[in-house]
Amino acid sequence: MIKTCNHLTKHYGKPNGWSLDAYEREGGYKAARRVLTEMTREQVTDEAKKANIRGRGGAGFPMGVKWSFMPKQAPAGKPMYLAVNADESEPGTHKDRTIMEENPHSVVEGCIIACYGIGANKAWIYVRDELHLARERLWAAIKEAKQKGYLGANPFGKAYPIDIVVHTGGGTYICGEETAMLNSLEGKRGEPRLKPPFPAQAGAFGMPTTVNNLETIAIVPTAFEMGCDKFSQQSALHDLKDGGCRLYGVNGHVKKPQVIELAVGVTMRELIYDIGGGVTGDREILGVIPGGSSTPVLLPTETIHAPDEKSPLHRFHGVNVLDVPLGVDTMRIAGTMLGTCCVTVMAVGTCPVLAMENLMQFYRHESCGQCTPCREGSAWLKRVVTKILDGESSMEELNELHDIANSIMGNTICAFGEGTAMPAMAFLKKYRKDFEKYVRGEKTRKDARLTVT
Amino acid sequence: MPSFKLDGKTIPFEPGESIIGAARKAGVEIPHYCWHPGLSAPANCRMCLVEIKPAAGQRPIQLDVLSLDPKTGEYKYQPKPKLQPACQYPAVDGQEVLSDSSTHVGDARKAVQELLLLNHPVDCPICDQSGECKLQDYWLEHQKTQKRMRDEPIHKPKAVVFGPTIVYDAERCVMCTRCIRFMEEVAKDPVLDMRERGNLNEISVAPGRQLDGNYTLMTEHVCPVGALTATDFRFKARVWFLRSVKSVCQGCATGCNAWLDYDPRTSSVYRYRPRENAEVNKFWMCDPGMLSYKRAHEGRVAEPRIAGKTTTVQRALESAKKHFDGVPRESIAIVFHARYSNEDNWALKELAITLLGTRMFYRSGGAPGTGDDILIHADKNSNTAGLNQLAPSARPFADLLADIKKGAVTHAIALGGATPGDPEADLAELRGLKSLVTISAHDGPLTKAAAVVLPATSWAEAGGTYTNAKGLRQISEKAIEPIGSSQPAWKVLAELGRVLGVEPSWSKLKDIRARLLAVEMPSQPDVSAQAE
Repeated sequence: MIKTCNHLTKHYGKPNGWSLDAYEREGGYKAARRVLTEMTREQVTDEAKKANIRGRGGAGFPMGVKWSFMPKQAPAGKPMYLAVNADESEPGTHKDRTIMEENPHSVVEGCIIACYGIGANKAWIYVRDELHLARERLWAAIKEAKQKGYLGANPFGKAYPIDIVVHTGGGTYICGEETAMLNSLEGKRGEPRLKPPFPAQAGAFGMPTTVNNLETIAIVPTAFEMGCDKFSQQSALHDLKDGGCRLYGVNGHVKKPQVIELAVGVTMRELIYDIGGGVTGDREILGVIPGGSSTPVLLPTETIHAPDEKSPLHRFHGVNVLDVPLGVDTMRIAGTMLGTCCVTVMAVGTCPVLAMENLMQFYRHESCGQCTPCREGSAWLKRVVTKILDGESSMEELNELHDIANSIMGNTICAFGEGTAMPAMAFLKKYRKDFEKYVRGEKTRKDARLTVT
Repeated sequence: MPSFKLDGKTIPFEPGESIIGAARKAGVEIPHYCWHPGLSAPANCRMCLVEIKPAAGQRPIQLDVLSLDPKTGEYKYQPKPKLQPACQYPAVDGQEVLSDSSTHVGDARKAVQELLLLNHPVDCPICDQSGECKLQDYWLEHQKTQKRMRDEPIHKPKAVVFGPTIVYDAERCVMCTRCIRFMEEVAKDPVLDMRERGNLNEISVAPGRQLDGNYTLMTEHVCPVGALTATDFRFKARVWFLRSVKSVCQGCATGCNAWLDYDPRTSSVYRYRPRENAEVNKFWMCDPGMLSYKRAHEGRVAEPRIAGKTTTVQRALESAKKHFDGVPRESIAIVFHARYSNEDNWALKELAITLLGTRMFYRSGGAPGTGDDILIHADKNSNTAGLNQLAPSARPFADLLADIKKGAVTHAIALGGATPGDPEADLAELRGLKSLVTISAHDGPLTKAAAVVLPATSWAEAGGTYTNAKGLRQISEKAIEPIGSSQPAWKVLAELGRVLGVEPSWSKLKDIRARLLAVEMPSQPDVSAQAE
C-alpha cells in the first residue's frame, strides 16, 4: 500500500531548503525544544521506543531499545557519545546523502534529541569522504543552530551542553560497519572490533556510545513532533514493531529511479511499477535485490514461507515476495534482508553471472583483510566467478564455489563476511543454470550484459 | 573453582579467562595462529573457532549454508551453528564447548587452513620456519587435502628488510598481527602496522623508521609462520637437527629462561629462544640476550696458557704451583666473578678458606650498562645476587686495583676474564701483580694479565645455577661438549687445590649443589622454569 509522506523530503528541491529558516518555517526544532525543556531522559527513551523505528542502516535493530542500552549514569569521568553513521557506501544505496544535502537540520535536531535521550553531550557524524556537499551542508547547519543557541552550552536555555562534530572518513566501505567506523573516527585503521564489548559499553574513544544510522536520527524529530506512537501507526507493519515511514529507493532497471519517502507497508511491486514507473523496456523482472548489495537477491516467482499459524507473519504465507510490505521481518522470512531498503531491479536480459562478478569484485576490494575467511574467501569467490565468465572454469570448480561462501559464512569478525557470502549463495542457488552455460561454453563474456534497454 | 566441559573433559578456569587460555593451562591445545598467551586476543585467524552449546532454554544461533546435489545441480540451504573464537570468548561455568569433537569445528578449521594456504608460496624447503611452522603442523592435523585453487597465487613483496635483525616475506604472512601487537603491547614501540587491505594486506614498518631497538627478535619468535625471519638465523640450520636444553640467559642479571638450541653433530650453538617463566621473563627475551648465545663460541679460552703461550693443563697447573711457592697462602687474593655459576664461585671460596686459609676476597664481573623497565637489567652479570650471598665480604674490584697499587696484594687466583672497568686501564693495573692465576671461559683483562690461564667451560657446556636479580636461583643445563681442554671451573679449582697439596672436599657437581642448598642458601627455593 503506497502512503506517501514528506516529513523529511518536504524541503527537498526547494531554494535554500537546507537552511535554518526553511526548516523552522515548517515547524523545525519544536520537538527538540519541547524534549529539552519539558521531558526527562527516561521519558525520552520510553517515548522513542514507541516510535518503533527500526535502524535504517541495514540491520533493522529497534532504535529505542538501542538507546536504552546506554548506562543510566555516565561512568565517573567518562563522557558518553552519539555517533551517527553516514558512511553510506552500500552499492545501490543513496538515501542518507539526500538528507544531508537537502535537509541537514533534521539531522542536527535529531542529534539534539538523541544526545539528550542517551545522556550524551557530544555527537560525531561520520560522513563518507566523497560526499563533500553533504559535509558542507551539515557544518553549515551546525553553525546556524549554534548561532541560534540550539547547540552549545545551553541549548534552548537548558543547562545541557550539546556539541556536534562532522568527521569525514578515509573512503572505505568497511568504515560503515559500526565498530570499524569508531576505529576510523579515532584515527585508527578502519577495521571492525571484536564484540563484546558493544559500543554502548565501550565505543568511541572507549566511552559508552550509541551508533545510529543517519536516517534513523533524522526521522527522530518527526516522531517526537507527531507523538511516537502515532508516528509508528503510519506503518502497515506497526504490529510487527516496524513503524513509521522511511526513505525508499528504487534503482537499477526501472524507468524512474528515485528516493521517496513512504510509510512502511509499500510492496516491492508497488515500488517498481507505481513509483519506479515499471521495468526498463517493459521487460520482465529477472531478480530484485531488496536493500543493498549484501542482501540476497529474490526471484519474482518466490513466495513467503511462514506455515506456523501462531507466527504474526503467517498472514503473508504463500504471498509472492513482491507483494508483501517491505519490512525488516517480512524480508527476513523471505530469506533475505530489508537492508537499506533501496531496491535494485535486474531486468530479464541482465547476466546474473556478470552481476555476481561485479558484486564479488566489490567485496574483494573492500574486505579489510583482518580475518582469514573474508580476506581470502572474498578474493577467491571473485576469482572463480571471473574464470567462469572467461570460460576458463570447470564444472568441478563451479560445484565447489558455494563451499567458499560456506567457509566465510558465520566465521568472520563482522557481518561483512555474511554480506559477501549470502548474496553469493543466493546468486548460485537461483541462477545456477546461467553459470553452467558459461562453464559449458554455451555463453561467453561477450554475451554478458549488466545494462538493458 | 568454576569449570566448563571441553569435548567432555572438565576444564577449570579463573573467572575472566578465555576458553583457549583455560584449555592451554589444562594441557589441551585449541589450534590457533593469532592468539598468544602474552598478547591481546584479536580473534583474526579464526583457527580457534569452537562450538559453544547454548545454555538450557536458549535457542542456538544458526546460519544457513548451501549444500549441492551435483547430479541435479540443485542447492539446498542447511543450518549450521554459529561458531565462536575460543580466544575471545570467556569461559563460563558449566558451559559445554565442542572442539575436536564437532564436525562443524573440523570443517571450519579445514576451511581456514585451505584459505591460509591459498596464496601461500609453500616454499618450505627454503623456509627457515620449516619444521616449526604452524601451517605445516596444522595441515597435517586439520587439513590433509590439497588446496582446490589451481591458479597463480597472489604475489606480494618478499625479503623486505624491516631492520638490522628482521626480514619479512609478505607471501608467507598469515596476517595474525602478533608482531604488530608485540611491538605495541610489550616493546611499547608501535613501529609495525598493516597496510593495504583484503588479500593484498601486508605488514609494514612506520614511514621513516626501521624495526630496531632491543626487542625486534621477539617479532620473529612470535611469528607462527615463516613470514618474519631473523637475519642472524636465516639459512643457518634446519631446526630438526637442533636439540634444545633449558638454559638461563647470561646477558644480564634478569636471568631470562631460555631454550639454547644447538647442533649435537657439530657441538655448536645456533640460537636462544625464550622459555616461559611467569616469574622472570614471561614469554620474552631481549635482542642482546637472544644474541648472547654467541658467547658460547666467541672470545673463548680453549687451551691453557703460560705467559700467553699455549700449553697443556698439566704444565699449566705445575706452573701455577711454582708461582705460589713460598708465598704465604693467606696473602693470596681471591677474585670471584659474577658471571660464573654458584658452583664455580663456591668451589673458589672453598679452596680459599679451607685449603689456603685466605679471606682476601674481591669480586669481578662485566661492566654495567643500561637497563629498561621491560626485561633488561643494568647489571650485565648473570650471578651478582648469587655471589652476594656466597661471598658477602668480597670487596669491589676497584679495591683490588687499589690494593695492588699499594702493594698489599701481590698474588691472586681469579675466576673469569671480564672486569667492570675500562679493559685497558684494568689490564695495566692488574699487570702490577707478581703473579695471577686465572680460570676462565672467556678472554678479558684478567686472562691477559695472568701468568697462568686455565680454560673453563662456558655456561653452554656445563650445568650450573645462577641467581638472578630477584634472588631466584635457576638451573642452566649443559648443551654442547666442552671446547678445547676446558672443564667446568669447579673441576679446575679442584685440580688446582690438588697440585697445591690439599685434597679438595668436592668431586661431583651434585656434592656442591647439596652443600650450596644446605649451607649457603637454605631459604632459596629452586624456581627453575616449567617447560612450555
